[in-house]
Amino acid sequence: MEYNYKKKEIRINRSLNELDKFVIDFTNLLDEYVVVSGYVSILLGRTRATEDVDLLIPKIDSYKFRKLWDKIHENEFDCLNTSDFEEAFNMLEEHAIRFARKGIPLPNMEFKIIKNELDKFSYDNKIKVILNFNILYISPLELQIAYKLFLGSDKDIEDARHIYRLLKEKINKQELLYSLEKLNVSKKFGLLENGEH
Amino acid sequence: MFQKSLVYWKMASIKDIKIDLNELEKEKKKNFEERLKFIDWWVDYMKRHSDKDWSEDQNKVIDSQFKKI
Repeated sequence: MEYNYKKKEIRINRSLNELDKFVIDFTNLLDEYVVVSGYVSILLGRTRATEDVDLLIPKIDSYKFRKLWDKIHENEFDCLNTSDFEEAFNMLEEHAIRFARKGIPLPNMEFKIIKNELDKFSYDNKIKVILNFNILYISPLELQIAYKLFLGSDKDIEDARHIYRLLKEKINKQELLYSLEKLNVSKKFGLLENGEH
Repeated sequence: MFQKSLVYWKMASIKDIKIDLNELEKEKKKNFEERLKFIDWWVDYMKRHSDKDWSEDQNKVIDSQFKKI
């Protein structure tokens, strides 16, 4: 695995699992997105499964969403919340909606609109991951680590620790400290280094 | 007689047992620390092996969740 911080690019050459294939097949249908949260650590080698993948997209109008909705369904994915386009579009204003392969509810894609500055920062500063010959976009690792500490469950802390320990020498320390500060989790930094806080 | 008392023992209510919450908390903390140690061990393993090698091990965990029924 190679991480080039300046180019905001990670290269991985590895065997794909079913979760990777699901994410690649779905994100190939999108023009603009960023994958955030748990799958980021799994993509980077964490040994755990998950039932959903979180994905953010920029605000979208009804016309564009209709086109995307049709494309998603033509490619054998279904929306788990509703089969009605209007209802899905209205839900998207307030909530995430979930897509899965037809007849297979797990794993599913939790599809959300960018709503706040943190989301926008993730999108604007996304990292390109070249996974074999596939391209995925993920949130910046420094923010990802801090956000996982903010969420704070054992699983989240383990995710944060995995990314930190794996790419400790490559991540931007200053940016990590700013991210920890912004999310008010500076005191949890010890969990990344030695398991104490 | 012994068998009978064993059956009664098995059917005892949880309200009758003593639970040391401090001990459980310690156990929970220890378990979490061991998980963190495993994360470090796994990251070292990843660094010592090719992407292809470690991903084959990782995929056993992930794909087992999505086995086709």
